[in-house]
Amino acid sequence: MIDRSYKELLKLGRFPHTWCPGCGIGAVLKNVAMAMKELGWNNQNTSVVSGIGCSGRMAGYMNLDAVHTPHGRALTAAEAIKTVRPDLNVVVLSGDGDLGAIGGNHLLHTSRRNPDITVFCNDNEIYGLTGGQAGPTTPKGTKTITSPRGEHYQPLRLNRILTTQPPYFYARTTVYHLNHFKACIREALLYKGFSFVDIISDCIELNGRRLGFKTAHQMFKWFDERFHMFEGVRDHLKDDELGIAKREAEAEVEEIPMGKVEVKHEDLKTFTREELKHFDGAEGKPIYIGYKGKVYDISASPLFQGEKRMRCHMAGKDLTKELDVAPHGDDLIFKFPAVGMLKVKAEAEK
Amino acid sequence: MKKLLSGNDAIFQGAIRAGATYFAGYPITPSSEILQQAAALAEEDPGFRFLQAEDEIAAAIGTISASLAGAKSFTATSGPGFSLMQEALGWGHAVEAPCVFFNSMRVGPSTGMPTQPAQSDLLQVKGGSSGDYYPIAFYPNSVEESFRLTVTAFNAAEESLSPVILLFDALLSHLYEMADLDGIEAEVVPRTKEPLGKGRRLFTGTAHDRMGNVKTNDPEAYRDWLNDLKERHLTTADKYPLYEYIPRKDSETLLIAFGITSRIISSLKERFSIFRPIRIFPVLEKELQEITRPYRHIIVVEGNDGQYASWTECAIHRKVMRVPCLGGGFKFQSIQSQIEERLKEGK
Repeated sequence: MIDRSYKELLKLGRFPHTWCPGCGIGAVLKNVAMAMKELGWNNQNTSVVSGIGCSGRMAGYMNLDAVHTPHGRALTAAEAIKTVRPDLNVVVLSGDGDLGAIGGNHLLHTSRRNPDITVFCNDNEIYGLTGGQAGPTTPKGTKTITSPRGEHYQPLRLNRILTTQPPYFYARTTVYHLNHFKACIREALLYKGFSFVDIISDCIELNGRRLGFKTAHQMFKWFDERFHMFEGVRDHLKDDELGIAKREAEAEVEEIPMGKVEVKHEDLKTFTREELKHFDGAEGKPIYIGYKGKVYDISASPLFQGEKRMRCHMAGKDLTKELDVAPHGDDLIFKFPAVGMLKVKAEAEK
Repeated sequence: MKKLLSGNDAIFQGAIRAGATYFAGYPITPSSEILQQAAALAEEDPGFRFLQAEDEIAAAIGTISASLAGAKSFTATSGPGFSLMQEALGWGHAVEAPCVFFNSMRVGPSTGMPTQPAQSDLLQVKGGSSGDYYPIAFYPNSVEESFRLTVTAFNAAEESLSPVILLFDALLSHLYEMADLDGIEAEVVPRTKEPLGKGRRLFTGTAHDRMGNVKTNDPEAYRDWLNDLKERHLTTADKYPLYEYIPRKDSETLLIAFGITSRIISSLKERFSIFRPIRIFPVLEKELQEITRPYRHIIVVEGNDGQYASWTECAIHRKVMRVPCLGGGFKFQSIQSQIEERLKEGK
């Protein structure tokens, strides 16, 4: 007997829904609801967020607190909700146009910040609700009403964008490969962090028919030809693969060296002009110069390497006057570590 | 204890006093200090959440979403950023999310003159987003008042269930004054809206009925919903009919100025009566009608080309004279000579 208890999570009173017969969004909604039910997610611990478009209507049919955002803003809204309410499970139900085009900037940055939210992208490769215009994932050459001779540009490959910075979780599946589809939804919901499921879905009315498909099922067969499934989990997915690409966070980067250049004044050695002259870089000695009462070690400067001088500036000298009229700013000097204080003449005589 | 504080400091402290626990923003002069203070507080206090967003669109959407999730939230920006936030403001009114937007105005349009002060975003506040909505906006003119009005703005947001806008300008943002903020008693309206995760509601920018059900072709449902919204906003605004009126008995002329301009012309109170609207929107119609009645000349001095003057004319059905201070030029001498000129010409 089929378990139909997932229907608690749907607002059946609002049915029949707005989508066309044969549309893949119904399958997305149903399977997400089933997975949520299995995991015990309900209106007390879960909130869904959607964007604009056919897929954006999904939030309205979920029987829990739902937020229907303006075009492209679903991820930002979801992140803010998760930030304020870490106890809530936050699920985004949206589409390729919303997430990839108008919300593209938010996709880059929300995934970078890695909030613990799950994104289901109904990727039908078209703007359906507005009448069938080319979308960001529309394959090159596809005829749409805004690309009557075929789309000119390469599609946006969401897998390539989302698998650049670990940690990440990217899954690609289709509404046709049902078991795989269910497994991906479940994995994504359970993943701690930003998880993205790219669900290749069909829009028979406003895309498929123009491409010559008579039924939604013919489009499913086409998905089966275009994509190949693989077992297990990898780092990356090829553009024609169905599966899960997952990677843990890389080891923390080393601490950014801050204040390394600055040394406390009292710790600095004092040089006279005579002493400074010795450090001219000859015989493997370091190269020091004086500037505004301080001595800097500029051995690392590529301009001085192996030479005692660089154009008009001599090593081992106080360059304050020269640098003040030089065409470059003194920020060139401040890049190097200060190693001592320079004694001016009057002080030295005392 | 009195402390030397800037307008931005006072605004941030006002927000904290009002119970704000979420800030999202994007750097823009002259409001960045608020963002910086929020970042610093979030490091200290885990109960305060902060997001430096990728743009003002995300900052504004984050602010409204955080409000739906249950936090008192706010954001701060300047003219160009406020333009990007218009979409979210419209959405905020549609989903009825209480929060506060701070806009420190600088000369526009577009990037304009960073960062010369201006008062030229009034029309953007009133109707920058699509459709009909009834924003509430306040405009302080001192550091201490910035604090008070920030708390008021949060209260008005809770009562009207909408984003409330606190206007200020580049001069006020960076104006330092002595103020004892701890000594100010401010009444705080607590959160009333149920946070997410409690019911089965839909918060949508699409037209909907009172229950949140999407109704895209039902004029009745739309009108009901909009009337509700309008009534709630106007009732809330009526609670805060804030203005300052300094009458001078022998004067035939009334100067109208708000925000920083009202400070600059305050020394003219020996010669003219001065009216300072503090609630900018909804426009103080009744008050303007009553107060302007006895005066022969009404002059609106403002940092834009007649935005509030037009609203005043609509409200009182009379022509007013205009003294625009444009390009960041808020010089007292120039304002004074323009006023003399207008009075001589009589128009």
